[in-house]
Amino acid sequence: MHLVTAERDALLKPIQTVSGIVERRHTLPILSNLLLTKTDGELSFLATDIEVQISTKAQCEKGQDAATTVAARKLLDILRALPAGANVSMELNNKKLNIKAGKSRFSLQTLAAEDFPTVSQSAEFKAGFTVGQKSLKALLALVQYAMAQQDIRYYLNGLLLIVEKGQAKVVATDGHRLAFAALAVESDVDRQEVIIPRKTVIELERLLDDSDEPIRIDIAPTQVRFQFGNVELVSKLVEGKFPDYNRVIPTGYKNSFSIAREELIGCLQRAAILTNEKFKGVRCVVGDGSLKISCTNTDQEEAQEEAEIDYSGDAIDIGFNVTYLLDVLAHVKSETITVALGDANSSALVTTPDNTEFKYVVMPMRI
Amino acid sequence: MIPEVYNFAMNAVPEGAGARPIRLLPDTLISQIAAGEVVERPASVLKELLENALDAGATAIDIRLDAGGVKRLRIADDGHGIPRDELAPALTRHATSKIASLEELENVASLGFRGEALASIASVADLTLTSRARGAPHAFALAGGHRDPARAALAAGTVIEVAELFGQVPARRKFLKSEATEFAHCGEALRRIALSRPEVSFTLAHNGRVAQHLKAETLEARITHVLGEEFARGARMVEAQAGPIGIIGMIGDPAQARASRDAQYFFVNGRFVRDKVLQHAVRAAYADVLHGDRQPAYALFITLPPAGVDVNVHPAKTEVRFRESQGIHQFVMRAVSAALSASAADAPVPMANAASGAPAAIVDGGADAVRPPAMFTPTPMSLFRAAPPAGQPQSQAAYFAMFSAAGATSRAMEAPAPSYLPAPLPEGDMPLGHAVAQLHGIYILAQNRAGLVVVDMHAAHERILYETFKKDLEGERIAAQPLLIPVAFNAERIEVATAGDYADALDRLGFEITPLSETSLAVRSVPALLADTDAKALARDVLKELQEFGSGEVLTRHRDELLSTMACHAAVRANRRLSLAEMDALLRQMEETEKSGQCNHGRPTWYQFALADLDRLFLRGR
Ligand SMILES: Nc1ncnc2c1ncn2[C@@H]1O[C@H](COP(=O)(O)OP(=O)(O)O)[C@@H](O)[C@H]1O
Ligand SMILES: [Mg+2]
Repeated sequence: MHLVTAERDALLKPIQTVSGIVERRHTLPILSNLLLTKTDGELSFLATDIEVQISTKAQCEKGQDAATTVAARKLLDILRALPAGANVSMELNNKKLNIKAGKSRFSLQTLAAEDFPTVSQSAEFKAGFTVGQKSLKALLALVQYAMAQQDIRYYLNGLLLIVEKGQAKVVATDGHRLAFAALAVESDVDRQEVIIPRKTVIELERLLDDSDEPIRIDIAPTQVRFQFGNVELVSKLVEGKFPDYNRVIPTGYKNSFSIAREELIGCLQRAAILTNEKFKGVRCVVGDGSLKISCTNTDQEEAQEEAEIDYSGDAIDIGFNVTYLLDVLAHVKSETITVALGDANSSALVTTPDNTEFKYVVMPMRI
Repeated sequence: MIPEVYNFAMNAVPEGAGARPIRLLPDTLISQIAAGEVVERPASVLKELLENALDAGATAIDIRLDAGGVKRLRIADDGHGIPRDELAPALTRHATSKIASLEELENVASLGFRGEALASIASVADLTLTSRARGAPHAFALAGGHRDPARAALAAGTVIEVAELFGQVPARRKFLKSEATEFAHCGEALRRIALSRPEVSFTLAHNGRVAQHLKAETLEARITHVLGEEFARGARMVEAQAGPIGIIGMIGDPAQARASRDAQYFFVNGRFVRDKVLQHAVRAAYADVLHGDRQPAYALFITLPPAGVDVNVHPAKTEVRFRESQGIHQFVMRAVSAALSASAADAPVPMANAASGAPAAIVDGGADAVRPPAMFTPTPMSLFRAAPPAGQPQSQAAYFAMFSAAGATSRAMEAPAPSYLPAPLPEGDMPLGHAVAQLHGIYILAQNRAGLVVVDMHAAHERILYETFKKDLEGERIAAQPLLIPVAFNAERIEVATAGDYADALDRLGFEITPLSETSLAVRSVPALLADTDAKALARDVLKELQEFGSGEVLTRHRDELLSTMACHAAVRANRRLSLAEMDALLRQMEETEKSGQCNHGRPTWYQFALADLDRLFLRGR
C-alpha cells in the first residue's frame, strides 16, 4: 500500500521534529518507534515517551488511509544518508515499510499502530495565550540552564511557568542558583502556575524558530500544550510545589558594579584553568575600582586576573562556583551585566541593563 | 590509643612524672582506662548490661532510667542468675564465664566475652549487683568496691543498678549531652538489641514513665514495632542462603517517597554491627532502583560460621571484620537486589514464628531450668516462603571456596589479609592509559602500554573523593557550597540533637544543618564536592555516623569513617554513562590520587590484563 512520495527534505524535516524525544532504550520497545498516520491526503508523524508527545504533519497524495509504526532512529538515519533532493517513496507491504529512493531500497519492520500508546489530551485547556516564537525561545534560553537535573526534589527538574494578566514569568533553579525572566504577553487569564518538565523545555527550545510566527500555549490542570506551525507538543506537568522565588531574589543590595560581559567571561575562563577539577571554586575580591579574580588548585598553582570596574562599595572577598557564573554569562546576550552583592556569605544578584525583568541569583561558595 | 585515654593518664599523673620508676598501674585505674573504650555514655552501659542479660538466657527484661540514664540505670532480668561466690569475680576485670580458651574465642557466639564490662562500669559509677542463681535459696547483693555479698530479696534473675555515671570522673561527665540526647541514645541501644531478640520482651521506663513495651513476638512483628508501621507496609522480605551464609530480614520499599525513618540495622550472628562493606552492599543494590542516593531503611540479619568473622576488632564490638569481605558484599548485594526486583506479586508474606519456641514463663528455681546462654547458631533459617534467591549459584561457589580454603584455623584473630594487593602503577606517562569503552555502566576499559586495564568506576571515584576530602581537611575545612534553597526534612529528635551537638564538626566538613523545629532540620550548606548529591540523604548519613561516635573529638577519632561515608554517597551511581573524555579524566585523577588501587572498602579499583595474557587466551604465540 502506497503511503507517500516526496522529496527527501519534505520527509526528513517532520521526522527530525518529532524524533528528538524518542528514548533510545525505553522499557516499552514500541516507544522507539514513530507513529505514521495517513488520512485524507495528510501524513502525520507522532512520537512520545508517555510524558511528552510531539506530532507534526506533511501533505501527501490522496489515497487509502493507513497507519503504522516504525523505528524512529533507523528511519531518520536512512533519510539523512540519502542525497538531498532525492525523491523518496514509502510503501507498506506485509507489515514491512519499504523505502525507495533512486537505486536504494530499504525494508523496515513495523509494529501495529493500534498498540502505540498516545497521550490523551486533556479536555480542560482553559488558560491560553499566544506569543512570537522568537520571544518565547529567548525567554526559555534565559533560564533553562538553571533547571535541576535528576534532583530528588523532582519539582526542581523543570521550569516554573506563571501566567497572569499581561505577563508570563519563568523560573528555574537547581537549589544552588536561580534564574528568573518575564515577558509581556497578551493574556487575560487568571493566574496559572505550572511546572514544565525539563525534557519538554529543552525540546521546545530546540524546536522553536527565530521568527515572529506565533506559538499558542494552553494550560490544563495536568497538561500543557504548545502549538506552532504544523507542530503540536503536549506534555504532562510536574506536580509539586516550586520554591517561592520571591524569597530567594534579594532586594536592596547596595554594593554593585557593572562589567563588560565578554571581559568577565575571559577572566573567569582563564582563571578557571587552575581551579580544583571538581568544584571549580573562584575567589572574587571586589574593591575600589577593581575586581580581582583568583584560583588555586590542589597542586598550589595559582591564577590571577584583574578587571577595572566602577565601584566604591564595601570591599568584599567572596567565592563562587565558576560554572554558575559562566552559565549565566553565556546565556544572557547583553553587552554588560550588573552584579550586586550583600556580603561574603549572601547570594549575589546578576542583572542586565537591557532587560529589567531578568534576574539571576547565585549562592557563594566557601572555599 | 585514643586521645581520651591520654586524658585519663594525665589526670592521674602529676607533672614531672617522667622521673618516676615504671610501675604496674593500680587495678581500678586499668579499669577506668578500659572504661574509656567500653563505657562512653549511658547507652553503652545499657548495651553491655542488656547483652549480659541475654547471655544469661533472659526472656523478659525491664529497664528503668532516670535523667537519661546518667542518674540511674537499672536492669532486671529473669536469666539464670549468678551464684553467690561468683558475684565478686563478675565485677573483676577479665573475669568471664563465657570463654576459657583461645579456641573458644574463635568460635565465640555469646554477646559478651571480654569480661570487662561490669568491672569497667563499676570503676566509673556506683554499681550494685543483685542476683539469685537458679535453685539458690535466696538472692545476694554485692556493691562495687565491696568483697562480701549480702543477703537480698529477689525472686529470680539479676538486677543491676548503676547510679551516677561518671560521678567521680568529671572529665568524662562533661562530655555527656543533654538528658534528651542520652535518653535517645539509650532508646537506640535498646532498639538494636530488641531487633536481634524478638522472643525476649522488653520494657523501658524513663523518669518513672513507661516509654516502650515490646512483648515477645515474631521477628516480623518486632521489626514492625521497632521500625514503624509505615516502614513495614511497603517493606520487602529478604531471604537468601548460600552454603553456610544466610541473610534474612526486611528492607524498605524503594518507592516509598519519604521513608519513615532512616533506620538501618545490620546484625551479624545476632550482634548489631556497623560495617561499611554491608552498608555499601545494600546501597549498591538500591542504586539500581533508586535515582540519586536515596537511603533505604532496613533490618537485616546475617548468619555465618563464627570463624568467618572477627568480632574482636573493637571493645565496643559494633565493628566486625569479615574474613572474605568481597564475598559478603556480593552475597548481600545480590540478596537485596533480588528482593527489590521481585515483582509486586511477591508482596510481603507474613513471617512464621521467628522465635525458636514460645517465650518461656518466668522460671523461679528448679535446678533443671538452667538454660545455656542463648547461643546464636548459624543454622539455615526459613522464616519466609521459600523463594529461590537470584544469583545464588555464584555466591555459593564463592562461599564454598572461602571456607574450604580457610579451614578452621586460628585465622580469625589475624588481621584479614586483603584478598587483592594493588599492583604498583605501571610505568609511563599515563600509566592507566586511555579509556576505550564503558562496560555495563560499571567498568571502564582502558588501553595502556602493557595491555588492557579494567577499572571499577564507582570504586575508583569513591577513592578519589575520599582522598580529596582528606587533603582538604588537612587544610582547615572542606570547601562548602551553601544552598540557595535549603533542603528541609522531617528528622528524628536524635538527629536534631546531633546536628546541634556537632555543629563545629559539621562546619569543618562543609555542612550547615540547622533545626527548624524539634523534629525538622534544614540543610543549608553541603560540601562543594557533593553539591549535586541528595543533600537530605547525605546529611542524614553523616548525622547518623556522628551520633554513633559519641562524645569527643570526632574529627580526629573518626575522620576516616566520616569521609568515607561522604565519598561513598557521591560515588554510588550505577549505570551512569560516561563519555571517553570523562573516563580519561577519571583515569588521570586515579593516577594522581594516592592509594587509588583500592576503594574505601578495601576492594580493588582496577586490574591490569597484560597483552601476553590475552594472547595466551587466543593461543597466539609471539
Ligand atoms: N545479668 C546477668 N545474669 C547472669 N550473669 C551475669 C549477668 N551479668 C553478668 N553476669 C556474669 O558476669 C560475668 C562478667 O560480665 P561482663 O563483665 O559483662 O563480662 P562478659 O559479659 O564479657 O563475660 C559474665 O561472664 C557472667 O557470668
Ligand atoms: Mg558482658
